[in-house]
Amino acid sequence: MRTGKNPAKDGLPAYAPQRLGIALIVYIPFTQGYFEHSLQILQYQVASLRASTSEPFDLLVFDNGSCPEVVSTLKSLHDQKIIDWLILSGHNMGKAGAWNWIFAAMPNELICYADSDVLFRPGWLEASQQVLEAFPQAGMVGAQPSFYDVMKGEGTAHQALYSDNRYQAGDYHPDTDIIDEYVLGIGATDELAAQFYQAALPALTHRQSGVQAVLGASHMQFMLPRQVARQLVPLPATRGLLRAETMSLDYKIDQLGYLHLSTTRPYVFHMGNSINERLLGEVAAMTGKAAVGTQARSQTSKPRRASALERWLRALAKRPRTQKLLVRAYNLLFRALYAEILDK
Amino acid sequence: MRIGQNPAKSIDHVPQPSRVSAAIVTYIPFLSGYYTHSLEVLKACLNSLLENTGTPYDLLVFDNASCPEVRSYLAEAHQQKRIQYLVLSDKNVGKGGAWNFIFQAAPGEFIAYADSDIRFYPGWLERSLEILEAYPLAGMVTARPMRTPEAFYTSTLEWAHHQTGVSAEQGVFIPWEVYRQHVLSLGTSEEQAREWYDSRRDWRLTHQGVTALIGAAHFQFTVRKSIIQEFLPFEMDRPMGQVRTLDEQINQSGYLRLTTCEPLVIHMGNQLTVEGIPQPAPGAVRKRLVDAVPIRKSLLWLYDAIFRLYHQ
Repeated sequence: MRTGKNPAKDGLPAYAPQRLGIALIVYIPFTQGYFEHSLQILQYQVASLRASTSEPFDLLVFDNGSCPEVVSTLKSLHDQKIIDWLILSGHNMGKAGAWNWIFAAMPNELICYADSDVLFRPGWLEASQQVLEAFPQAGMVGAQPSFYDVMKGEGTAHQALYSDNRYQAGDYHPDTDIIDEYVLGIGATDELAAQFYQAALPALTHRQSGVQAVLGASHMQFMLPRQVARQLVPLPATRGLLRAETMSLDYKIDQLGYLHLSTTRPYVFHMGNSINERLLGEVAAMTGKAAVGTQARSQTSKPRRASALERWLRALAKRPRTQKLLVRAYNLLFRALYAEILDK
Repeated sequence: MRIGQNPAKSIDHVPQPSRVSAAIVTYIPFLSGYYTHSLEVLKACLNSLLENTGTPYDLLVFDNASCPEVRSYLAEAHQQKRIQYLVLSDKNVGKGGAWNFIFQAAPGEFIAYADSDIRFYPGWLERSLEILEAYPLAGMVTARPMRTPEAFYTSTLEWAHHQTGVSAEQGVFIPWEVYRQHVLSLGTSEEQAREWYDSRRDWRLTHQGVTALIGAAHFQFTVRKSIIQEFLPFEMDRPMGQVRTLDEQINQSGYLRLTTCEPLVIHMGNQLTVEGIPQPAPGAVRKRLVDAVPIRKSLLWLYDAIFRLYHQ
């Protein structure tokens, strides 16, 4: 039976989610072989997100059935308030299955998705937002130029813009260093790399703002508005990582008339499953001397400014001795208020 | 860069979700005062669910920023595969926020929701599903008979009176002991419970051979995901206390609010003592100083103030 009044019913405000939510899917079934460095890479990713994202955000990590060591690290990051929402699935439900959860449930107005091996650089959010603002029809905006037409010519949503005077279609020739990095990130063969150096990328420019975007976006990382995300689910999910299933996301986006776009500069980098000196240098430069993955986020979510007295009381309440006294006082009051029931 | 092929690409089958997602929201910020026994209550809740649910289901637990002890317990239960999906929230997003998450993300065709202080008995899910299937317009089915304000079931009554093939009877169909057990579990006095019981009647419906009572409550209910999604997102800015919105919306939208005829779940509250509810006999409570209204009010204010300081 209920004894006393539930304190949660009285006045405390519920947490209001940030405008931006970032979601990562983690699947590290063991920590050898292909996945030897994956946990470390994930921690670099989280540190890069904290260091390079210019506004407060909620971080959701969806663990898709990883091994106990990884789950334990994720729980520790959650305890340190580095991860805001941690979803632990008892089994791998596939990438599309995890997307179904993320796109259906994340409460944030803007949702950024990334695989768990993506390094974020300063400016990624601003550049992605610029594209979203210049192209209101954007359904998926990647922060790295897309070198592939994931739809293989079957996409049609962008065609409407070819006859729209506000936009200009054209070719975009990325600098060699951008291509170098992309080739490195995906571990492309020489033959494949040669194609990237030769071909121009299809692009659209918003005349008024001058914002240019590359047509196409990758599943590795992208941002999308919540109202688009909600229309995409449920996606078919029967395999761990089946291209046909992840591609169903692209088809839905295109069928709904939304665009796949990406930025012209690489604001994210695919770290993959290996660590090299170049990566370590970039991570260190971005995150400074602080230990990677251990910087607790600042608490930026309280909309109401507390009074000086309240702030003083809260600070006081954090001291262990005061806390002990408060707990004693609280328990004493609880017993006094509900003694006749508790004593029965 | 990527070296080698991601082994995840070779996973050629992933388990498909069950038809039913059972979902529980937990919020136990500390283990003293009001919450002294809440972890034991939560354990009883999950154990009874696991022991008494015959139909296949996936269990989703949304922890709304509980204390480390509770999170550890849940993480262990997840590791033991007793919980299929565990969502740990670093902040309390309110019951509305948790519901928004659950009802959008839970993959089942049916979602069986319960607060974390509910004990389940054999047949609770099977009977709830039987009613949901026999009454396609059922919006909420609670596995315990109860009486709710008429304003919450006007649509159910209207449907019963106009739908062919439905038998609707009014009378006393909830035994006093069943009624008393639930009402007293909410902290109501015996006298008040008796007064309410004597002053009201129940409605019993039969459709397609399945009998149900009119009622339903938000502490435990089973619902079709497609129906509950019509009401999302819930706008609730407090951790608790705004959940009646759902009862109202279900009724206003013309959906039925029903209960099983038998008590198949019970509200434990924050104590494990459910059966033989401890209540003071009339006149037995000493008139104590803390019962004086101004003193009690002041103490309650202080009690809440400490909770806020301690919790925030």
